[in-house]
Amino acid sequence: MFLKSITKGILMFFSITFLLISNGFADSYPSKPIKLIVPYGAGGGGDTTSRFIADLATDILGVKVLVENKTGGGGTIGIGAVAKSKPDGYTIGFISTSPITIRPHFMKMPYKPLDDLTYLGQFVSSPMPVILRSDSQWKSFEDMMAFAKSNPGKLRWSTAGQKGGPHMAMLAAFKQEGASTTYVPFKGGAKALAALLGKTIDMAVISDFAAPLSAGKIKIIAESTPERNPSAPDQKTLAELGYPLSPAIFFGIAGPSGLSKDVIKKWDSTLGQIMKSKKFIDLLKKLKATPSYANSANFTKSVIADYSAAGKVLAGVKF
Amino acid sequence: MENIITGIQLATTPEALIAILIGLIAGQILGAIPGLTASMAVALLVPYTFYLDPWIGIPMLLGMFKGSLFGSSITAILIKTPGTPAAAATVLDGYPLAQKGKGVKAMKMALYSSVFGDTFSDVMLIFAAGFLASIALNFGPPEYTLLTGFSLLCISSLTGNSIWKGLFSVFLGMIIGMIGLDPITATPRLTFEYLELEEGIGLIPMLIGTLAVSEALRQMEQPVKKLASSTLIFSKQKIDNVVTFLEFKSTFPTIIKSSGLGTLIGAMPGLGSTIAAFLAYGEAKRSSKKPENFGKGSLEGIAASESANNAVSGSNMIPLLAFGIPGDIAAALIMGAFLIQGITLGPVVFQDNPVEIYAIFAALIVANLFNLFLGHGLIKMCKHVVTVPKRLLFPAVLVIASAGAYALRGSLFDIQLVFCFGVLGYIMMKCDIPTVPMLIGFILIPIFEENLRVTLLLGASHDLNVAFIFTRPAFVILFLIMTFTSLFILKRRKLRKLENINN
Repeated sequence: MFLKSITKGILMFFSITFLLISNGFADSYPSKPIKLIVPYGAGGGGDTTSRFIADLATDILGVKVLVENKTGGGGTIGIGAVAKSKPDGYTIGFISTSPITIRPHFMKMPYKPLDDLTYLGQFVSSPMPVILRSDSQWKSFEDMMAFAKSNPGKLRWSTAGQKGGPHMAMLAAFKQEGASTTYVPFKGGAKALAALLGKTIDMAVISDFAAPLSAGKIKIIAESTPERNPSAPDQKTLAELGYPLSPAIFFGIAGPSGLSKDVIKKWDSTLGQIMKSKKFIDLLKKLKATPSYANSANFTKSVIADYSAAGKVLAGVKF
Repeated sequence: MENIITGIQLATTPEALIAILIGLIAGQILGAIPGLTASMAVALLVPYTFYLDPWIGIPMLLGMFKGSLFGSSITAILIKTPGTPAAAATVLDGYPLAQKGKGVKAMKMALYSSVFGDTFSDVMLIFAAGFLASIALNFGPPEYTLLTGFSLLCISSLTGNSIWKGLFSVFLGMIIGMIGLDPITATPRLTFEYLELEEGIGLIPMLIGTLAVSEALRQMEQPVKKLASSTLIFSKQKIDNVVTFLEFKSTFPTIIKSSGLGTLIGAMPGLGSTIAAFLAYGEAKRSSKKPENFGKGSLEGIAASESANNAVSGSNMIPLLAFGIPGDIAAALIMGAFLIQGITLGPVVFQDNPVEIYAIFAALIVANLFNLFLGHGLIKMCKHVVTVPKRLLFPAVLVIASAGAYALRGSLFDIQLVFCFGVLGYIMMKCDIPTVPMLIGFILIPIFEENLRVTLLLGASHDLNVAFIFTRPAFVILFLIMTFTSLFILKRRKLRKLENINN
């Protein structure tokens, strides 16, 4: 009985693996499996979304799109691997804001974001609110800023990733007000959230806010991306509050530079179709992300614009 | 009440039960393969659950997670190769027992304590999630620093006879653990400009190398004739193949204590099952009546490490349910899977999806029961695997070790690491330096360092400076407990010395 069920389990495992590596044959692109490199760990929002994209793209393209997690360096190692791959359209990667438009301005990178990548399309923008504990002494963003200004170094805060977009945006805002604060680095939004709820820090800018918000443990006092947060439409964005940097948090797909027009066209139409699928829209709703589609041309334009805007602001911020 | 009954019904439909079974079987097999950790097993399965009915997909995931934790202890006991890092502490006593022909006894002990630890922590999850979560939230960077620092102090005495050799081993592990990017400033350290080293040394290559490969090297010393003999001889006597009631009774206090410790550690985000296993092992040895048996095949040792590492699996859902904070990667993956099925795990889940949450609880308990029965089947099967001659088994171990290390990150560098650590482990074995303190030093140092530095950073922002830690109630309580434990150990040592002199 046990042996039988174990054999069945093994058979299932191998048949799934076989399905994964089996490939279709055709002459035009794509004619063999495509590798989608995800520069983040399995299980995060980015990983879940890319696995979904990979599955839906498999149905549309007729070849397997395989997800490969290549983590490290805050996303730069995986994107570096994409940038260095052969520009044949069979290696592409999942990209997000920080390693493309923010970090290159002050860190050594294994790639040049504007030269080494072809941007194939954007599909999600994600809100990134500034949150406090619901019993916090501060009622608004202005309250908090006033405290930070009159108590140098006493405001303890964190974000999902050190030197990522939200960290830089808040630093720029504090800098503009002449406030000095204590940034407490944690690895990942979950740990920052735990520290906020455990009163180790008093403010956080993270994307995993849905559960504690609905339980009334936290409140939103501002939004660090260009669009107001759908969960708190009354709260202003950093730009509306008069601060220079409010980077959009986007998820998209890119390949190495020099991809052919055929490849770009194929992905334009594929992503366009995925964005219309109900399954995908439902998933984004659950992840509290906003569907936001841009084709290759528009995505490239917005990346260049975001990159130079961040560059201007960050040049004035000391680290 | 109605919700509870509907929930139980949802989790015990024939489809759900079969899903749990499949998950457990797949988990036990994947868990037994070195390099495939419990979280990886879950990560592999998550995409498939998108297409399944939630009440087939989710029980399967839970089963898989539980199965992989037990599966990994089997290879730890039989061939000194922990399938996942969490079973590394099980090697310490499991492998010596297997060498004595008592492999089946060791595996059964591991199974019973695993299932007990699992059930204990599931029950705590069901009845005390809110309470435990509020304790866990009080554990911030200062408390993590104290906890890991104290563990680093204790482990040098964990194995081996010489405290100095133990200390050497711990420090070696700590230095290796510092290779890579600085956790706060992201500056490369000890990398000598090698890009591969910037990501740091992987725990799995290091673990497989120092434990499994070094053992394979040692086996090569033997004359060829001897290598043709069967790898493990299983004693035919009944007493060596069962865990007797008396044995279970004598290890029961250890199991309870380790389950409690594991549950508490699991409730704190970021510590995880490997640390729980080692801490429980250390505590069991400290409080044991026969500490001298530890490392030579003590059933208590197996019981401590296995019940603690399994207890983490239930309680790492505690911060998830109480605050929506995943305690570790596996919990994050499970949260993702629920999200896709339309259920946001978090404090409001009891209002929004009461039926589903009780169904999860029911599935957890059912999975434990199945794990117990399936485990017996797996033990029988694995017995045959290790009766092959050593000259076949150990080369196979080398291949599996390389493949497992490669599978993790897809990097050839990791395979090279496996063999480097194999040689290092072999040399240490020859010099009679215990390798396990090195492993624990390696696992603990990043957590210790990160939290120590964050604590100092926080200190600079407080009026009292670093002394602010004494305004944190959790810190003070932990500090007092640890001081008394240390004094107690010292006093007992002195008493023993006096007794020896008097005799």
